[in-house]
Amino acid sequence: MQVYSVPKSIKENSTFTFCPGCDHGVAIKLVAEVLDELNLRENAIAIASSGCSVLLYDFLDVDCIEAPHGRACAVATGVKRAHRALKNDKFVFTYQGDGDFASIGLAESMHSALRGENITAICINNTNYGMTGGQLGPTTVMGQVTATSPLGRNRQYHGFPIKTAEHIALCEGVSFCSRVALYNVKNIINAKAQIKKAFEYQQQGLGFSFVEILSTCPTNWKLSPSEAHKKIEEEISKIYPLGIFKDIKND
Amino acid sequence: MSYIKIDKDKCKSCYLCMETCPKNLIKKSNIIGKTGEYVVEFQDNNNQCLGCTQCAIVCPEIAITEVYR
Repeated sequence: MQVYSVPKSIKENSTFTFCPGCDHGVAIKLVAEVLDELNLRENAIAIASSGCSVLLYDFLDVDCIEAPHGRACAVATGVKRAHRALKNDKFVFTYQGDGDFASIGLAESMHSALRGENITAICINNTNYGMTGGQLGPTTVMGQVTATSPLGRNRQYHGFPIKTAEHIALCEGVSFCSRVALYNVKNIINAKAQIKKAFEYQQQGLGFSFVEILSTCPTNWKLSPSEAHKKIEEEISKIYPLGIFKDIKND
Repeated sequence: MSYIKIDKDKCKSCYLCMETCPKNLIKKSNIIGKTGEYVVEFQDNNNQCLGCTQCAIVCPEIAITEVYR
């Protein structure tokens, strides 16, 4: 009996073009599995952002729109409202990196959350700007060495990192907000459950739902894939604690 | 009898599946993949595979395409 197969929402014969061991592959696979389980593929519109996450539309077999850098939540707002006005409601989600969601597009993201737009945002947090060579990003942790902080992030020069999920959870229009990681099987299964919940909340029209996924960037962290997972488990998930920060059904 | 299928053309030799397999049934092969490292292969001579799908869950490249139990 076949117990596992590649999700149908992933294009046939597609090969991921991410670096070896990058968690983007797992995250896209989870999104595809949830789209399959909720039978959303024909009704979904994905908004891709700039960064490594832009490669989404090469692999995911749903309609995609490429947003300008940081503006994925703004584009998603327009797409969702236009389809609602035409009485042809679509399932709209964004798939963004941390630089796109929490730095360049912070205004768009935060105001979408404040307005309580009925969309889902997925933010991949790998603590740097991965595609352009690992520069310091808004989520780079204190002391982390990157291409533009060779002595490590410090308080005087760079300031403190943003804890995206905690900030989004403060917005009143948010229905669901959580942070998950992908460093072992237990966490991957948990991440899938959270993504599914976020998608279901949008289907029920409860408002903005958000999942932040802690991801590795083995190439720019200059670690092997398993060392990078260890770093997430031992360091990054202590600074960015995992869990559900807001759930209007349980609060 | 449980078994998995590995697409060696997709494997990028990150070896996360090797560390995850509870029975250590996934080993390095002697085929060099596209990253210049040895790709993995499934070696189960004593029918030890549980079909737990953990290797497929952690694989970031969907290189483990099918699991049978």
